[in-house]
Amino acid sequence: MEWNPQTLQFLSQCFLDTLSPQPEPRRRAEKNLSDAADTSNYGLAVLRLVAEPSVDEQIRQSAAVNFKNHLKTRWVPSSATPISDAEKEQIKQLIVPLMLSASPKIQAQLSEALAVIGNHDFPKLWPALLPELKSNLETALNASDFASVNGILATVNSLFKKFRHQYKSDPILLDLKYCLDNFAAPLLSTVESISVKINAAAALAATLRQLIEAQRLCCRIFYSLNYLDLPEFFEDNADKWMSQFKNYLTMRYPAVEDSGADGLALVDELRAAVCDNISHYMEKEEELFQKYLSGFVEAVWSLLVVASASPSRERLTVTAIKFLTIVSTSVHHALFAGDEILQQITQSIVIPNVMLRDEDEELFEMNYVEFIRRDMEGSDLDTRRRIACELLKGIAGNYKDKITERVSAQIHNCLALFAENPAANWKYKDCAIYLVVSLATKKAGGASVSTDLVDVESFFRSVIVPELQGQDVNAFPMLKAGALKFFTMFRVLIPKPIAMALLGDVVRFLSSDVNVVHSYAASCIEKLLLVKDNGVQSRYTSLDIGPMLLVLMTNLFGALEKPESEENQYIMRCIMRVLQIADISPEVASPCITGLTTVLNRVCENPKNPVFNHCLFEAIATLVRRACEKNPSLVPAFETCLLPSLQMILAKEVTEFFPYAFQLLAQLVDLNRPPVPPHYMQIFDILLTPDLWDKSANVPALVRLLQSFLQQAPNELNRDGRLRNVLGIFNKLVSKPSTEEQGFHVLNPIIENLGYDVMAEYMSHIWSSLFTRLQNSKTPRLVRCLIILMSLFLVKHGIQTLIDSINSVQANLFHLILEQIWIPNLKTITGNTEVKLSAVASTKLLCESPLLLDPAAEKLWGNLLDGIVTLLSQPEEERVEDEPEVPDFGEATGYQATFVRLHNAGKKEEDPLKEIRDPKHFSVALLANLSAQFRGRFPPIIARYVSPANQAALLQLCNSYNLTIA
Amino acid sequence: MAGETPPSHRRDSIKQTVGNAAVQRRRQLAVSVAKERREAMFRTKRLCMEGISMNLEAATNGEKMIDEEPPVLESQTSKAVEELKLAVSFKGKDAVQNKVNALRELRRLLSRSGFPFVEVALKSGAIPLLAQCLSFGSEDEQVLEAAWCLTNIAAGTPEQTNALLPTLPLLIAHLGEKSSLSVSEQCAWALGNVAGESDELRDLLISQGALIPLAKMMVPDNGSTVRTAAWALSNLIKGPDPDAATELIKVDGVVDAILRHLKKSDIELATEVSWVVVYLSALSDVATSVLMRTDIVQILVDRLAASNNLQSIIPLLRSLGNLMSGDAYTTNVVLDPGHEITDSIIRSLSKCLKSEHRFLKKEAAWVLSNIAAGSVAHKQLICKSEAVSLLLQLLAGAPFDIKKEVAYVLGNLCVAPADGLGRPSLLLDHLVSFVRNGCLCGFIDLVSPADLEAARIGLHFIELVLRGMPNGEGQKLVEKAGGIDAIEQFQFHENDDLRMMAGLLVDSYFGETYGLDE
Repeated sequence: MEWNPQTLQFLSQCFLDTLSPQPEPRRRAEKNLSDAADTSNYGLAVLRLVAEPSVDEQIRQSAAVNFKNHLKTRWVPSSATPISDAEKEQIKQLIVPLMLSASPKIQAQLSEALAVIGNHDFPKLWPALLPELKSNLETALNASDFASVNGILATVNSLFKKFRHQYKSDPILLDLKYCLDNFAAPLLSTVESISVKINAAAALAATLRQLIEAQRLCCRIFYSLNYLDLPEFFEDNADKWMSQFKNYLTMRYPAVEDSGADGLALVDELRAAVCDNISHYMEKEEELFQKYLSGFVEAVWSLLVVASASPSRERLTVTAIKFLTIVSTSVHHALFAGDEILQQITQSIVIPNVMLRDEDEELFEMNYVEFIRRDMEGSDLDTRRRIACELLKGIAGNYKDKITERVSAQIHNCLALFAENPAANWKYKDCAIYLVVSLATKKAGGASVSTDLVDVESFFRSVIVPELQGQDVNAFPMLKAGALKFFTMFRVLIPKPIAMALLGDVVRFLSSDVNVVHSYAASCIEKLLLVKDNGVQSRYTSLDIGPMLLVLMTNLFGALEKPESEENQYIMRCIMRVLQIADISPEVASPCITGLTTVLNRVCENPKNPVFNHCLFEAIATLVRRACEKNPSLVPAFETCLLPSLQMILAKEVTEFFPYAFQLLAQLVDLNRPPVPPHYMQIFDILLTPDLWDKSANVPALVRLLQSFLQQAPNELNRDGRLRNVLGIFNKLVSKPSTEEQGFHVLNPIIENLGYDVMAEYMSHIWSSLFTRLQNSKTPRLVRCLIILMSLFLVKHGIQTLIDSINSVQANLFHLILEQIWIPNLKTITGNTEVKLSAVASTKLLCESPLLLDPAAEKLWGNLLDGIVTLLSQPEEERVEDEPEVPDFGEATGYQATFVRLHNAGKKEEDPLKEIRDPKHFSVALLANLSAQFRGRFPPIIARYVSPANQAALLQLCNSYNLTIA
Repeated sequence: MAGETPPSHRRDSIKQTVGNAAVQRRRQLAVSVAKERREAMFRTKRLCMEGISMNLEAATNGEKMIDEEPPVLESQTSKAVEELKLAVSFKGKDAVQNKVNALRELRRLLSRSGFPFVEVALKSGAIPLLAQCLSFGSEDEQVLEAAWCLTNIAAGTPEQTNALLPTLPLLIAHLGEKSSLSVSEQCAWALGNVAGESDELRDLLISQGALIPLAKMMVPDNGSTVRTAAWALSNLIKGPDPDAATELIKVDGVVDAILRHLKKSDIELATEVSWVVVYLSALSDVATSVLMRTDIVQILVDRLAASNNLQSIIPLLRSLGNLMSGDAYTTNVVLDPGHEITDSIIRSLSKCLKSEHRFLKKEAAWVLSNIAAGSVAHKQLICKSEAVSLLLQLLAGAPFDIKKEVAYVLGNLCVAPADGLGRPSLLLDHLVSFVRNGCLCGFIDLVSPADLEAARIGLHFIELVLRGMPNGEGQKLVEKAGGIDAIEQFQFHENDDLRMMAGLLVDSYFGETYGLDE
């Protein structure tokens, strides 16, 4: 693509159209751009457009986004259509000055684009970058152009972030050394010069803001450079750095801080970055840091006492408390040992931070999903409530008794205040509950916990139960949520009779209008159903939920009608769990399937929440499986309900749901008695559309469905060239290592279920495509699958058929395959059914085939026996080496649904050799029988070709079945 | 057969990702951004305050340090350079003596430890004059004094060291056999200071041919010369490019000389020589394999057993650790668990673990971790020694970096080397005994985002506890020690490896069954 007025015009128009509300021009523009992206110098042209002042800002912004995304997919040399080196060089030359002169929104995009390049090229392939940034930084500082200063620092910050998440190694240290050599000293001088400017700008709020942001970025760069090790330069200049850091913790900047919440937040971000840095030094460079420690503890402490008493300032509070927590677990823990200090910590830091704030209440009401994520699912590591508890835990590491005593007293205190005036002081009770739950130690099996702070049973009885028994399901919702959370967390410790007495109340809370409350109620029931005694025995069974099943399901489906809970995953998960456990009578099954189908139809409109959707499909699969297995007469009713929805998914191309739909269809096909009803045969034909097989997420589900058809209706295959189509799919799958195994899953049922006469004409073609694959890229998995296929063929259609069919490709081919593939790799077969099948087939070959009984083939015979004995006598983990999974990059095209297996729509493993119970016995018996016919012939062959260990194993096998080989 | 057969790589995927790394020998990384503490103190550059000459009485004649004020000395320095300038241009009788006197005055001023007036001397144009004084055919005494001046200039700041550039070929030339011992030693000293400055200067010196003459200086038994040459060499070969180390080991007689000096010499000389061994073994596989064919490990271990001072122990530990991590032969054959040498090294290492110096503790733990990566018999030997109780104490209370090294030792002790199939197995009695002695908390402390390698070894150990402790006790122990919170910190971490490991641990041991059969 050449840069000229036409290109400019073309690209401008495209980017303008991508913003169009009309789908038609938008799609066309997107298509044009994606086609153009394949031409060389496209990236360069877009970048030039971004830089073109005459073009509308909106268009340039959209171009900048496109540019960044273009680099993301194509900068890596291993991508399908990489950007050429020449174009890359030009982009690298242009991007820094462009970024610095751009407007803020474009600057942000270009800075990200630069980071994308940096991830691959910096520093080795882009030696000019850091010196360029350094000299620009100096110029910008001298010119007091702080917008550019911040642009440069932000870029450096994103370039250096890679030092924060890689293991130490020589190459990464070399990169770090390069960055330190070039940027450590400039960073310090930048910090010092900005510090001077901050003092000078004390009253100029706008400038001060930029400067404080600049210092924050410098702190983040400091963090990246110090993460892996303490660099010499920073050790030598520790005094200077620490005095800067302390400055920002102790100084106030009224012009910014007092100008509103965002001003305060800006300064707090800087202080938080400082806290991160000193925490890191405290943790890893304690020796260097100790002389600064007490000064910093004092500074952080004073800051915290003020911040804890004010609303907001969450981020600062969290990082500051984190610092104190690290100190409390270090060798300097004695700093916190004094009774007075401990008292202050609990009273002035912990309690104020655990106490609910207005913003917590707001989140509870406005965004229940986020509230739950933090409150219940452990994503609260960065909340002040949680981190305050972490500080207590940290101190408790050395002063457990003192902490337990103080916290128990605080809990008592809170409850007493609540008792005085429950309506006004309810937050104190919430605080008490939160402390108990958060200070509990997590235990295995999900989220169960234990605590020393209170006696769980009596706390439950006196504090929690009254809340759960409250009649108004909408009153004091945060307390109700806290009580439900407590019940859920301590579910293992609450004795069953007590829990059972409350279950009805929990079911009642499902009808609360408050999203958190009905979600917690659902979650509580779901988790209770998972409680196991002694690790195996479910504590609550169908008998326990039977009596309230109808109202439970009614309330659950009712909750899905509440505003914002239409796709509530906690509710759907609970439905799924109940359906897995409860006894499902037709009276329950019928409203359930109707309810679930209604929900399904709704989410098909616009699939949003994958967890919800997965639970939904899993719930349907469970219901179908459990209800229909028990009562096959339900099948038609279920079909009537479900099939239209599934057909709609296919017709409307709701591609996200394809894998689920195929699995459910397979389940339905399995439930039918042959012959399969005609409406399914339409689906069979859809299934053979080659396009569907192009998406990797569809493949396992399609294979699953195809198998069901092949087993239920093998003869249908003969009609209308379907077999040819199926074999075409097999060919396609087996040609790629990533889907080869699926290919065999298609082929095996054909071999197993069809007569040889039907497939004879195709066999030669099948073998030759397999052997070609074998020649071109022989993977261990391919070899295993092939041995299993040949074994299956052998036991189903006979030895001679197998041999002839393979030899029809090329004379004597079977002998070659046996010698080079089958025998050497027999021992790599895994899985009970597979081992059994291949052992039986191999033994049959050994004892019944003239080819091997030919005296000239005695070496082959001996080797095959050796392989069989290894397979039968050694456990899998000793025979097989782990093989690394080779990632497959070949097929990332466009949107991909992912395949998720539905646990309840699974297929039971079919054993093609049900008549043989013990493959060892079978094999040894066959062998003993053979040796009786040819007395004396085999022992010398065994002595010669079977390894001593296997000879011993064989002898042992014979003895255990009381058989002999003579 | 059927589609639901799980893929065949399902077996124990967690063992693959988690267990193995505990049994690796670890080499120190060649690149470092941190301050080289031990060397910054004693090594990199040295001021030469007292003469090294033995036969020039004049050198020490009337050399009282006079406590003049700095400004006075400053003007004295520029005056001394002026004097030298005059002396150099003077052609008459006593020309040599004049030069020597002027040089001696300058050298005296440059040898003051508090205020070496290097900057003044350089500004006054000392370098070209000193270069002239080094010219071929000059009297030994003159060359010696000039080299001495250069030595102390090179001991200064990087810029000052770089000022020597024009004199380097001459300094190198005077290393040759034709020079007197004292001259070559003084030149070696100057060059050692230059080599200590930067990678670039090291490369330059090597390209100008400094390596071989310095190496040859190590061969005779002359204590002082050998010491200086060894020190200069250790600066010259310390990388990061391994070629110099490989070249050094190939110089005739060097290997024998190293062994001889290590075995017989006084402690100072042996220390310098062992620093050479440190860099040889750290950088060059060729050098390591040459050294392995000698009895060097025995010699080092004997030295270690006899040493009590920090400066001499550090390079001995470092050399031993390098030799072990570079080549499995060391641990497998030389340090056979049945040999007395192995008991001896473990005793010495235990002594270091008890030392006051954190550096010794850390280094000793590193060496021990390499022995602990050996055979099961090695592991048993360590477990029977007093080292284990020391390690457990350190894990509980030492600073972070020592803890991390100790964690590697204990981790290695719990896992047997990989069998033929590439999968290591657990040494249950060791694991159980460590865990009973409370080591789990120490490992869990390491699982912090502050240091990723530490987090990795911590997670590995947690996995061992979960998998190995009898009666499924592992889960409860990990829970009780706050392990779940620690693991969860990594469930969304940017490091792929740690994120995957944390995910696997949570899923395999602490997750809930999603599907739940009836």
